[in-house]
Amino acid sequence: MTKRLLMLIAGAAVLAGAAVAQEPIRLGAMYPLTGGGAIYGVPAMAGHQLAIEEINKRGGVMGRKLESIERDDKMNPSTASATMKELITKDNVHLVVGGLSSAVGLGMSEVSKQEKIVYISTIAKTIQMTTSKLHPHVFRTASNTDLEGDTMAMLVGKYHLKKLCHLQLDYAYGQDLEIGVVKALPIRAPDAKIVLTLKPKLGATDFNAFIPQVMAAGCDGVVSGLWGPHFVSWVKQASPLGFFDKIKWISGGEIAAHEIAGELKGEYPDNVISNTYELWYHSIDPLHKTFQEALAKKLGTNETPQWAMLGYNGVMFAAAAIEKAKSLDSDKIAAALEGLTVNTPVGKLTIDPKTHQANTGQFWGPMVKKPGKDYRVMEPVEFIQPKS
Amino acid sequence: MTLPVFLTNVFYGLALAMNMFVIASGLNLIFGVLRVINFAHGMFYMFGAYFMFTVTKSWGAPFIVGVLAAGAGLAAIALVIERFLLRRLYGKEHLMQLLFTFAIVLLMSDAAKMIWGTDQYSVGYPPSLRGAVQLGPTIVPQYLVFLCAAGPMIAVAMWLAVDRTRWGRIVRAATQDREMLAALGVNVPMVYAMVFTIGSALAGIGGALAAPRIALAPGMDATIINECFIIVIIGGLGHLWGSFLGALAFGFVVQFGTILVPNWQDVLPYLLMLSVLLIRPWGLLGRPELSR
Repeated sequence: MTKRLLMLIAGAAVLAGAAVAQEPIRLGAMYPLTGGGAIYGVPAMAGHQLAIEEINKRGGVMGRKLESIERDDKMNPSTASATMKELITKDNVHLVVGGLSSAVGLGMSEVSKQEKIVYISTIAKTIQMTTSKLHPHVFRTASNTDLEGDTMAMLVGKYHLKKLCHLQLDYAYGQDLEIGVVKALPIRAPDAKIVLTLKPKLGATDFNAFIPQVMAAGCDGVVSGLWGPHFVSWVKQASPLGFFDKIKWISGGEIAAHEIAGELKGEYPDNVISNTYELWYHSIDPLHKTFQEALAKKLGTNETPQWAMLGYNGVMFAAAAIEKAKSLDSDKIAAALEGLTVNTPVGKLTIDPKTHQANTGQFWGPMVKKPGKDYRVMEPVEFIQPKS
Repeated sequence: MTLPVFLTNVFYGLALAMNMFVIASGLNLIFGVLRVINFAHGMFYMFGAYFMFTVTKSWGAPFIVGVLAAGAGLAAIALVIERFLLRRLYGKEHLMQLLFTFAIVLLMSDAAKMIWGTDQYSVGYPPSLRGAVQLGPTIVPQYLVFLCAAGPMIAVAMWLAVDRTRWGRIVRAATQDREMLAALGVNVPMVYAMVFTIGSALAGIGGALAAPRIALAPGMDATIINECFIIVIIGGLGHLWGSFLGALAFGFVVQFGTILVPNWQDVLPYLLMLSVLLIRPWGLLGRPELSR
């Protein structure tokens, strides 16, 4: 029995050796596919797969197919680190993309540092990844908390808000976004003052302890990093009190995404000014149309989610870097990523050789009602992109 | 803290407690009679909320129909689980039952993904409970007033059913001595099936009642099950009014704790549970277990 097994393994090894010539390039992809993070992870993975399909259809990279090895990061830093190690040591991936939540991103970056495998972070925004915890093998195609905080502070100035309540979730992203906002306020909105800072926990669904405090503080504006379900729960609990009638809600965390506007419909409140990476109904680059149509076909809906583009861009950067490096050596891929420019559905993006941060922009604007539409749309849309 | 602010928070704590009580009381009932620690209870809650979404938003049925449908839907699911699977495990050790209910969690979470996908959903308030109402010196959402009324009503109904009816006597007897009960000619497996069904339906109703206030998304089962266990442990395992008291303690500790010591908001419910366990290991209203 064991002898036969050994023979089989030996035979398989020989066959594998013969196949080396056409062996695909292995790309590890990690997004949350179950649990609370799945609302973003699943569409991001769809965008990731779309990019893989497109690249393979046009002949792959360096004449080799891309093989996507996909794992669930469960939005949990320790699971994500263990899974990424397994991808590297067992599946021998050449590069890893993905990671949802800033805490997961930092964990994955640490593994990338130890194992010296390039990691392209596509969603996590904590500034630490490209500053204090930067290392040669980590790159980011998502935006970051400094950029987001700066834009939020700029909007506070634009709307002449004086008295601010500050809401951030109590984990890496919220803490860093808080720093980003506080740093930028004196420059962007010198008249504004934060009178109350509250930090609900990640995953909170009940905001009854916070809503009365904010209402009692008499703020004319709220700066917030409450994303996705947090924002939705806040809206549902605060709206009956008329919360949004008197307060401008300036928010990061992509709550202007159509996923939220399209679901909340009439319940989406007034006075929200927020951001999103992509809007299916708004093109600023010819590439967006082809991308959005392909995505709509893949997902079976015309109202496509913005998270897909983040997964898509990650693969596009990875493929371009390998093509440019003409090698699967991590150091060479990393060197190729520095200063690399890629055409994306929102225009040309370039990775800064020093900070390893792409100059990824975001759409910002107020969410307004439009006649004939039962969901809110961003209007006017402003694409705010850092200088490269 | 001014008086109106204080009263507002008392009210919010109460509303949270009442919603949690509805869910936790089902878990407690099942534990009290079946002695099964049902980890799938949080998943039942999530399904209740999702049923509410399908019935009221996709099909356009009124709010109350959604609540009843969520209860009925979970009752049906629970009945199938109990009749075909769980009943085989009654005599077995607790670990087997624990693993079994955990397996149900995994199965149902994948089923939810297949049926509803991974998008987040929102259920609207019923039209008559959409606004806010002046209550003494404070203004509070109407829906919370409704929750505050619904909780005690369900508690009293359960108490009447368990304490004042023949069926309730049988259920209580089942917690004491199931062999004796069977010897007296009572169909004990049927009692067990009913209790599991009703307990699970309460989780579904709890989910449906919570749905208008929160975002429905995968993972919403995860925190609720911990909170339910905290409430049940504080109140005393298998004790109805204990759960009611446990839910109140939980609601007020969370509400005021989050305001007064924000950095401790995560730990406070656990601290509450720990202190109860240290002082009265059998819970506030439970009785010390006699050695069997």
